[in-house]
Amino acid sequence: MEQHLTPEQSLKVIEGMIGQAKRSFSRLSFYFLLWGILLTGAMLATYLLADIEPAMRHGMPWGIAGIGGGIISSIHGARQSRQEQVANPMDRIVGWVWGSFIITMMLLLFGTLRNGIDPGPGITLLTGLPTFLTGQIMRFRPLILGGLLFWAAGITMHFTAEAGTLTALYCGAMLLGYIIPGILLKRQENGLRAA
Amino acid sequence: MAFAPLDPLLHNQLRLAVMSFLVAVDSADFNYLLEKTGATRGNLSVQISKLKEAGYIEVTKSFKDNYPNTACRVSQHGLAAFEVYVAAIKSYLKN
Repeated sequence: MEQHLTPEQSLKVIEGMIGQAKRSFSRLSFYFLLWGILLTGAMLATYLLADIEPAMRHGMPWGIAGIGGGIISSIHGARQSRQEQVANPMDRIVGWVWGSFIITMMLLLFGTLRNGIDPGPGITLLTGLPTFLTGQIMRFRPLILGGLLFWAAGITMHFTAEAGTLTALYCGAMLLGYIIPGILLKRQENGLRAA
Repeated sequence: MAFAPLDPLLHNQLRLAVMSFLVAVDSADFNYLLEKTGATRGNLSVQISKLKEAGYIEVTKSFKDNYPNTACRVSQHGLAAFEVYVAAIKSYLKN
């Protein structure tokens, strides 16, 4: 049945549907929670077990967290893309942002370790960028604040070498920048699915 | 003052809703459009066929996890028609 639409009704339909399309993001909370927990665990293990197990001082927890997180993320991402019912250009942009972050982080890691410099402060500073941008793209304030926190923690870490302070700053940034926004995002995603 | 004629194909609530959603995404599955528009399966299927016949959207049929899947995306022709429709609507609202 053909329906007559007034120009106002047409505009309302257009705005409503475009608004819905813009909110059709992939579920990202899983990645923030996964990496938040893994990286916080790696930092705490490095700090707490460094005196007991020398391998902890040489980046073993980071290697385990990085490889483990990478495998879990890849499996989850492949499964998610098979189930995805909509391809949103914003998802693609968020993907490019995180992809370029990973490349920059690997290069930074290589450069700093080669010169015997602790990569932690630089990587924390760098983490602020994709977190902040993702928050802005998704218009999700907790991630925007998370990005700002990573920047604040990252720059502060450049002014101290004390292991306890560095651990507290990194874990604090992970908790407030990844884990809590991840929990809030998961709630929002579940709410949107139920709506 | 003469008003620009409105494209009759787009001047329908469900077809306009489908087009409005598709212009903002890369592609969407039939079932997702069903969920977002709240239309019945039969009605949505008919309107998608009309948009496809007019060349406004491209419909790809495939299998996803062993189930048949229909994905829709806006064509360049459809995007141009949508832009003309939006401009016409705006001119109506201005006058």
